[in-house]
Amino acid sequence: MSEQKRKIHPHKFTLWVAIGSILMMFAGLTSAYIVKRSQASWLMIEIPVMFWYSTATILASSVTVQLALKALKKREMINYKRLLVVTAVLGVLFIVLQVAGFRQFAAQDIRLVGAGSNASYSFLLAISGLHGIHVLGGVVALAVIAIRALNSSTRSYSSVPLEIAATYWHFVDALWIYLFIFFTWMK
Amino acid sequence: MSSETISHGHAAEASVHSHDSHEAHGHDHHHEESFLTKYIFSTDHKMIGKQFLITGIIWAIIGGLFSVLFRLQLGYPDASFPILEDLFGKWAAGGRISNEFYYALVTMHGTILVFFVLTAGLSGTFANILIPLQIGARDMASGFMNMLSYWFFFLASVVMFASLFIQTGPASGGWTIYPPLSALGQASEGSKLGMDFWLISMALFIVSSLLGGLNYISTILNLRTKGMSMTRMPLTMWAIFFTAVLGVLSFPVLLSGAVLLLFDRNLGTSFYLSEIVVKGEILPNEGGSAILFQHLFWFLGHPEVYIILLPAMGMVSEILSVNSRKPIFGYLAMVGSLFAICILAFLVWAHHMFVTGLNPFLGAFFVLLTLLIAVPSAIKVFNWLTTLWKGNIRFTPGMLFSIGFVSLFISGGLTGIFLGNSTLDIHLHDTYFVVAHFHIVMGVASFFGMFAGVYHWFPKMYGRYLNNTMAYIHFWVTLVGSYLIFWPMHYSGLAGMPRRYTDWSNWQSFNQFQDMNRFISTVAMVVFAVQILFVFNFFYSIFKGRQVKSENPWGANTLEWTTPINPGHGNWPSDIPEVHRWAYDYGKDGREFIPQTEPIGADESKH
Amino acid sequence: MSGYFIFIILVLAFVLIFQISKASEYVSVLKGEEKSFKQSNRINAFMFILFMVLGLFGAWWCNELLYDRTLLAQPAASDHGEKIDFMLWLTIIVTGVVFLMTQILLFWFAFKYQHSEKRTVYFFPHNNKLELLWTVVPAIFLTILVGFGLFYWFKITGDAPKDAQIVEITGKQFNWMMRYPGKDNVLGRKNYRLTDASNGNALGVDWEDGASHDDIEASEMHLVVGKPVQLVINAQDVIHDVGLVHFRLKMDAVPGIPTTLWFTPKYTTAQMKEITGNKEFVYEISCDQMCGSGHYSMRGVIVVETQEEYDAWMASKKPQYVTVQEAAAPAAPKADSTAAVATATMSKPLAQLK
Ligand code: HEM
Ligand SMILES: [Cu+2]
Ligand SMILES: [Cu+2]
Repeated sequence: MSEQKRKIHPHKFTLWVAIGSILMMFAGLTSAYIVKRSQASWLMIEIPVMFWYSTATILASSVTVQLALKALKKREMINYKRLLVVTAVLGVLFIVLQVAGFRQFAAQDIRLVGAGSNASYSFLLAISGLHGIHVLGGVVALAVIAIRALNSSTRSYSSVPLEIAATYWHFVDALWIYLFIFFTWMK
Repeated sequence: MSSETISHGHAAEASVHSHDSHEAHGHDHHHEESFLTKYIFSTDHKMIGKQFLITGIIWAIIGGLFSVLFRLQLGYPDASFPILEDLFGKWAAGGRISNEFYYALVTMHGTILVFFVLTAGLSGTFANILIPLQIGARDMASGFMNMLSYWFFFLASVVMFASLFIQTGPASGGWTIYPPLSALGQASEGSKLGMDFWLISMALFIVSSLLGGLNYISTILNLRTKGMSMTRMPLTMWAIFFTAVLGVLSFPVLLSGAVLLLFDRNLGTSFYLSEIVVKGEILPNEGGSAILFQHLFWFLGHPEVYIILLPAMGMVSEILSVNSRKPIFGYLAMVGSLFAICILAFLVWAHHMFVTGLNPFLGAFFVLLTLLIAVPSAIKVFNWLTTLWKGNIRFTPGMLFSIGFVSLFISGGLTGIFLGNSTLDIHLHDTYFVVAHFHIVMGVASFFGMFAGVYHWFPKMYGRYLNNTMAYIHFWVTLVGSYLIFWPMHYSGLAGMPRRYTDWSNWQSFNQFQDMNRFISTVAMVVFAVQILFVFNFFYSIFKGRQVKSENPWGANTLEWTTPINPGHGNWPSDIPEVHRWAYDYGKDGREFIPQTEPIGADESKH
Repeated sequence: MSGYFIFIILVLAFVLIFQISKASEYVSVLKGEEKSFKQSNRINAFMFILFMVLGLFGAWWCNELLYDRTLLAQPAASDHGEKIDFMLWLTIIVTGVVFLMTQILLFWFAFKYQHSEKRTVYFFPHNNKLELLWTVVPAIFLTILVGFGLFYWFKITGDAPKDAQIVEITGKQFNWMMRYPGKDNVLGRKNYRLTDASNGNALGVDWEDGASHDDIEASEMHLVVGKPVQLVINAQDVIHDVGLVHFRLKMDAVPGIPTTLWFTPKYTTAQMKEITGNKEFVYEISCDQMCGSGHYSMRGVIVVETQEEYDAWMASKKPQYVTVQEAAAPAAPKADSTAAVATATMSKPLAQLK
């Protein structure tokens, strides 16, 4: 069995397959968006400024999660815990900013749902909403790891869970960047 | 939806139960398990597999019963059955099945059998039971995710079951739930609350199959025992692997389609809706496209039929070879054709949409790719035939069903060549020809594969045999009955008789089949009764069946038959055996079979 | 009463089968597993051959019984339909040969190679030549089928002839509505927001568009034999499908996305009565896409007739606009003058299909 030690950890591998799966979902949605775009009655989307802030936030959180991983590997436990919490908080902040971004639409009297809504904006909402749920999932994962870390009775120095969470976190980050560029570009 | 649970699962499990500890607990792992951890929240792949199987059996009974009910309507459109009113109240007022009830039954029948029985019940059962046993692993890559997969399936089942009791009834727009019908509560009773339940249940179901699929893939790729290279794996493993790949890449697309539908239903968006006047009411939605949903649906829907079929193909290949006492013919071609089918399955979805106003050039493309699938399918059929040729065949119940599978796959596959050709599909689309086609090739054939698997691996699951006499009756009645039910449907299809009709008596063009419909309904009831016999045999034999006395009752080469008769948690009491050869050395050098664990002899012939 | 009776019989049959099965298991243990295995193996092998023979006979018999009830027994009523019938026969022949060959081999092998002590199996794991053979041969036959198929597909889905008559057909739960373009041969513009069945505008025609003023609405479709017709297909509420079995054609009706279909009817309804020997014969439009609880009853009728009969029918019809006007203001005879204005501002309704 020793040859297996050198291989990628099966849980990590599973995550990569899961990433492929999630990508298919967004590929489905964005291709639907592209198809719809070519039809009449399509409105150009104005990306609200708030989305720039949220993008910056999620980028920053990717950095912090990476630092947390480094800290864990160096056994700097206090730093590690702090960075973990910061990452999770940034994740929540990202969601808050996204919601604020959608509020801006409402302020401009653009309907995302309901009568008079236009599919282009509904798409933006549906796609970023689904992305937001994935970010929340990451936040939950980080929170679990953080609670484990803060709870001194379980002393685990295995970096595998955090590595997996970090990979996932970078993924949702990259996914957002892709969506962000996609929506800006697709004007 | 899926990822948060996944990463959660990782986080929660990885620290308590990291991969390395798996190996550690191989040896005599016999600490006391409570009822709860052993039977309910079990993380043992064998127990989870049985949970999937038994839940699947329960669903199959329900789904089958529904078909008996709606066949009653089709066979006896003028008769009244007071007992139905006693049972279903307003749905069968006057003892006759109302239209809403009929459509609800058909929709649930399709949904249940396609997703809950032949996806979860089939893949869930055999992937879980067989993967670790056949590749030589102690358990799945993540037992916890595996357990979650079952419990999400259970939740999906509960929601779907609950939808049967809603005041306005369950979903009734067909298992394909095309909007706008499924999006507009005004358009149909079943599109009210029942449809939301359907969508929620399917979302849970998708999470379940993603969790399962991820696990199957990473287990097969990462946890094979020493010497078990990919090309030494039994074909069952290859089939399950490709099935999982199909599921993992196509189910998320259905999920996105379902999410948009939920939006349209509950938030007034216009993804699928445009310029609609329903029952005199003018809706504000503009700019949506109803066809968009069909693309998203069939992007899953077509791979889905292979998700249903591939595991059956894999098991049949295995069982045919074992019981012909002869290697499977063309192992690599078999793997290659599975691979080709897996790729092509993603590229043919629009063949369900030839008459939606699809661009004809696009249509032509899909015709080409669709008929291309016939080539790997033909390879498989001829390879199965050659496997039988000059064999020494034992007709175990598993073998009977495998041969039946091949027959049905041929019959149903050939009608696919009609439907895949868009010119003919213009004529045949949504007629009974289609009903005959997909029931034979996907419904009945996959059921045959599933039965073959149950009969073949029951000794491994429960340490006992199923009763043979009942098995023979089950097989012959089901084989004959299936052909009697579905063969004549080709004819009504060729008369253009549309599907999803509750009654044709007011039509000049389609009312000439009443006697045939009655005949089909009668046979359907007999076939259903025989399935109940099987279910009875199944549960009876778990407790009272003839006991298995040897580890390897079928004289098979694969690893699962090197475990004890009733393997415990961890499967092998001592070290996991090492593999030295492929799984199909039957009849080589005058030996009846050579297990995979036997090293290559010095003077062994090459093949 | 009879229900309970059947139920009791069923239960008894179950118990009987179960007892027999249990008994035969004991017997087989007594007799020796080896011996009873051989016996059942022989029986099952024989059953396969029997199944094949009876099955082939059954298929032939089924054909005897049902062939005349299918459309294979009558000529297609449209030019496109003839192409489809040819394609159908070609496919039936090709697949039929494969069907017979493979099924017979399957059951024959099962019988022939049933277990025998004497036989040593032939270790035959692969053979590249054979595998190549059954990759290439099916590929060739499929290419032929695809070739014919696509050739016809493009013919059928190609543009309608310029002189084709235009008929609009709109589906709603649960009936069909037809509209004819009238003398100008142009269908008036529609706007779904104007739909108002109680005021004679069930189709949502925009009366502002003059081209609509001579449009004729009907619940039955009348076509001229031998004259190409292009259907413009709409749906108001959910997806329906215009199924024309005798013409061998169908096309979905999708809300918000009009579709088209064209063909040339070959026989009048009267001629079809003779051809089919059915005095009740009518061309029916069936809805072929699940559209709700009345889906099975969504029937339309097509009358194919000679030009004279058609003209007479047309002459008996009044434009819907006129009907609506008369209903609204019985005293105002202004319809004619508006119709004149209309021709000047003719719109191009077919453009909206693009
Ligand atoms: C005794 C066995 C069965 C009988 C008699 C039967 C009969 C039927 C009939 C007559 C219909 C068409 C109803 C209509 O369109 O009006 C139907 C639909 C369907 N059946 Fe079965 N069936 C059987 C088993 C199965 C199995 C094993 C499957 C598993 C794949 C299956 C899957 C479906 C599906 C997917 C539909 C389409 C449902 C829809 O239109 O939404 N059936 N069945
Ligand atoms: Cu398909
Ligand atoms: Cu319909």
